[in-house]
Amino acid sequence: MATTLTREQAEAGGGRRRAARRAGVVGGHRNWPAGLAGWLWLAIVIIPIYWIVITSFKEQSGYYASNPLAPPAEPTLHNYQLVIEAGFIGYFVNSLIVTLGAVIPAVLASFMAAYAIVRNGTGRFLRLVNGLFLMGLAIPLQATIIPVYLIIIRLHLYDSLLGMILPSIAFAIPLSVLVLTNFIRDVPKELFESMRMDGATEWAILWRLAFPLTRPAVVTVSIYNALTIWNGFLLPLILTQSPDKRTLPLALWAFQGQYSVNVPAVLASVVLTTLPILVLYAVGRRQLLSGLTAGFSR
Amino acid sequence: MEPRTPSRRTFLSLALGVPVGAALASCGTAGPAPSGGGASGGAKAAGATYWYLSTQPQEGIRTGSVERFNKANPNTPITGTTFQNDAYKTKIKTALGAGQAPTVIWGWGGGTLRSYVQAGQVDDLTPWFDQNPAVKDRLFPSSFGAATIDGKIYAMPAEAVQPIVLFYNKKVFDQIGAAPPQSWDDIMALVPKFNKAGIAPFSLGGQSRWTNMMWLEFLFDRVGGPEVFQAVFDAQKDAWSNPDSIKALTMVQDLIKADGFIKGFSSITADSNADQALLYTGKAAMMLHGTWTYGSMSLDGGDFVSGGHLGYMNFPPVTGGKGDPSNTVGNPGQYLSIYSKATPEQKETAKKFFATAVLSDEEVKQWIDTGSVPIVKGTESALAAAKDPEWLQFQYGIASNAKAFGQSWDQALSPTAAETLLDNIAQLFQLSITPEQFASNMNAVIGK
Amino acid sequence: MSTSTAAATRPATGGRRPGGLAWLAVPALVFFVGFAVIPLIGVLALSFTSWDGIGGEILFAGFSSWQAVLSDPGLPHALWVTFLVMALSWAVQTPASILLGVFLAGAQRYRAVLAVVYFIPLLLSSAAIAIAYKALLDPNFGLGAGLGIDLLVQDWLGVPELAFGVVIFVVSWQFIPFHSLIYQAGVRQIPRSMYEAAELDGAGRVRRFFSITLPQLKYTIITSSTLMVVGSLTFFDLIFVLTAGGPGDATRVLALDMYKRGWQANLMGPASAIAVILVLVGLTLALVLRRIGGRDAAHSQQEGV
Repeated sequence: MATTLTREQAEAGGGRRRAARRAGVVGGHRNWPAGLAGWLWLAIVIIPIYWIVITSFKEQSGYYASNPLAPPAEPTLHNYQLVIEAGFIGYFVNSLIVTLGAVIPAVLASFMAAYAIVRNGTGRFLRLVNGLFLMGLAIPLQATIIPVYLIIIRLHLYDSLLGMILPSIAFAIPLSVLVLTNFIRDVPKELFESMRMDGATEWAILWRLAFPLTRPAVVTVSIYNALTIWNGFLLPLILTQSPDKRTLPLALWAFQGQYSVNVPAVLASVVLTTLPILVLYAVGRRQLLSGLTAGFSR
Repeated sequence: MEPRTPSRRTFLSLALGVPVGAALASCGTAGPAPSGGGASGGAKAAGATYWYLSTQPQEGIRTGSVERFNKANPNTPITGTTFQNDAYKTKIKTALGAGQAPTVIWGWGGGTLRSYVQAGQVDDLTPWFDQNPAVKDRLFPSSFGAATIDGKIYAMPAEAVQPIVLFYNKKVFDQIGAAPPQSWDDIMALVPKFNKAGIAPFSLGGQSRWTNMMWLEFLFDRVGGPEVFQAVFDAQKDAWSNPDSIKALTMVQDLIKADGFIKGFSSITADSNADQALLYTGKAAMMLHGTWTYGSMSLDGGDFVSGGHLGYMNFPPVTGGKGDPSNTVGNPGQYLSIYSKATPEQKETAKKFFATAVLSDEEVKQWIDTGSVPIVKGTESALAAAKDPEWLQFQYGIASNAKAFGQSWDQALSPTAAETLLDNIAQLFQLSITPEQFASNMNAVIGK
Repeated sequence: MSTSTAAATRPATGGRRPGGLAWLAVPALVFFVGFAVIPLIGVLALSFTSWDGIGGEILFAGFSSWQAVLSDPGLPHALWVTFLVMALSWAVQTPASILLGVFLAGAQRYRAVLAVVYFIPLLLSSAAIAIAYKALLDPNFGLGAGLGIDLLVQDWLGVPELAFGVVIFVVSWQFIPFHSLIYQAGVRQIPRSMYEAAELDGAGRVRRFFSITLPQLKYTIITSSTLMVVGSLTFFDLIFVLTAGGPGDATRVLALDMYKRGWQANLMGPASAIAVILVLVGLTLALVLRRIGGRDAAHSQQEGV
């Protein structure tokens, strides 16, 4: 992703981009290969999701006999009851703590670093730091799980939520810094200068000017990191053991191991773990879609 | 192997732990979640902890014993935590590595227990058994084999004998008018008959891999006798290349080539009991599996077990084979070890648990009620009086008459060799390696 | 990578206060060094040790782990599987994402609605997706068996080629939406005047696609490809839950190989060696992609594009 940071793109300001969007529209009139792909893909996405949802409302006994694509004749919430009784509320709370606990510090720390890099990126130290983060983008961080496991043990954080939070923060930083750097760079430097003239400190400029102006980027980065951490599997698998420290994906895995003959219940657990994110998506869809496009297409 | 030193900090642990430790010391104390606060944090919790598997009906019996113990000892309770099989195997390792294993470690003995012993993680229970001969003497002597490492006992045998037996669905045998197999040749003759009727001859949860292994355990025994695997266990060079071993490996591949196993067996996991569901729903005719599946088939299979539709037998002989047809393989018991890093109080609680709650009269009765033969001597009359005497006496007969009771290979071998074994078994069942390749791959890890 | 960004960085303060802001980067640096850089060094160090991971001592063991790993036929296999997953998932996702991106770039309202639906798979965790597909594809209890369509009743996860195909499909199902979104933005940035000029020259739709759309999407393709390729090294959760690397070792990618060696076979030394190889593969790929991207960037700048 860093490869695309050419001067040309870096200088393409937000305003120019918006203008380009209004002007340049292709496929506006009957582009049938793309149209076909569009509807085909809709089917590919919808059918499994539809199947997951309707099956989760079926009784296990009726499941094998019924037409898998027909909605249940007598919808039941029994599967959901089973899942909730398996402690999913607690797992949900754990996922929430880990996600918020990691995303907030990760984004704040990344924002400060990105600001420093943009405002003073030619200093040797910051160039080194920036290079380090960019290198981090290329490294599959799962490869460090064995030493991370050791470190977490030595810090006496094994089997704690904090033990999952700390590595999650580190793993989220490189991409966050990259995206935020790009956005802060778009802020006209005259604004910084005029605020400086008024006697504001860098700390004040950072929070009162740069932060509000790049809020969409901050939100995007936060949502993206939240998704990644919410759905993370390897860290909870290796770094926790108690059922009361399980996060949703791990709980899901344990649940399906135990109930996999009961397909409707397993699918109910899938639906239930996704529901909170779906609600968020319904609320913040516009922000997420436009933010992600802006964040990654530059 | 090497004596454990109290301080086990090596150059690496220092290199890895200290700088971050210093940098994050403040975060660690001020963080939202205090470490090791969980009920299963071995060294920190007040009472003892105990992890075990979550499959029913066994889970209920284990939980029941813990609850009875806690009622009798309210000041020194044991906190039980259940795990599903695959998850347990990972979690117990990360917990041991982190120094936070439960006080009582549930296991299968053998090679895994040996690896715990070598890492200095479990206590030697020999002196305790010497002081408490009554605890030891009431158990099957054969159950101590897999608990004994280099002449010392590191685990308390518990629960029930679990030989592997051949289950079959009587309904589908009646349906095609066939009789249960009396020999390997019969098996090979039954395969096309069932396939023709649209019924899979054998159910198999092949993704779990150790399920495939049970087939090899029996075929090795029936073809070449227990000596063949014993040579592997004793780390004799090229032991897997024994002609009998090659013959057994070839036979299992012949069965696979003849579509002996259900379509899709390598994507079915045994953890989910889907392999059992295939048998009791009549989608498969036979299943080679541990006796522990009897309980879950009774629970989940409707009237399959209660209606007398489940048949069972020892694995049939192979014509011209050297193994005694009475031989069996499986788990001679389950094993409870005591974590060496637990506090003295926790260890005391655990020992009290072993002496008073494990295989107590109530627990013995529960095992028998769910169709298992507990590893306690003198239960013949109880078995005969139980609701399923035929099944229980069949198991008891197998366990007590077997000239050789082979421990499951993946449990007998070290985790390193076992992982290679399971990998190669999976590939053998995929037909992606030949018996000879299997033997040479396995020869490479002999003694490791 | 680092140099291209550094070159694009404008010293906004005009160099008046050199180094005065460096402390702002310290918190991020501390986290990153503590849980990424030190572990990276650590994994290299661990690859020269032997450790059982269950509490035994970590002992210096020289090159024995490397010897074991490099002489193991499992390594070239895992590398090959990793490469295949990477190449095939790229080859499936890229054309589909471009096509969908072009489609979504259209101004029609229903397309915006479709985009909302498309995006749902990305919200699901890999574990959830793997579990759902496992149930869906079950040859005895899944969708195919229920519908009675024999074509769908395959041993999807039990035959090496099919299982591999399923992995690629599920990966695509999960990530194509994300990449189409990137392409959608890329397409919308292409100036309309270019199409109008081409239309005046009488270029057909196909011609316009290949001579305008594709070349103009060059940077987008590089961005999206980098994300795909580096991302494909991290498909641990999905494969772990879906196939556990099976059948046999048909879908055992490097990350899974590392896990199995480390936590199933108690061989943390060799597992660390695999991890080091994984890191090297990631870095090499990034360098190669940067080379491709970098040269193109210089090129296009000379041409004044």
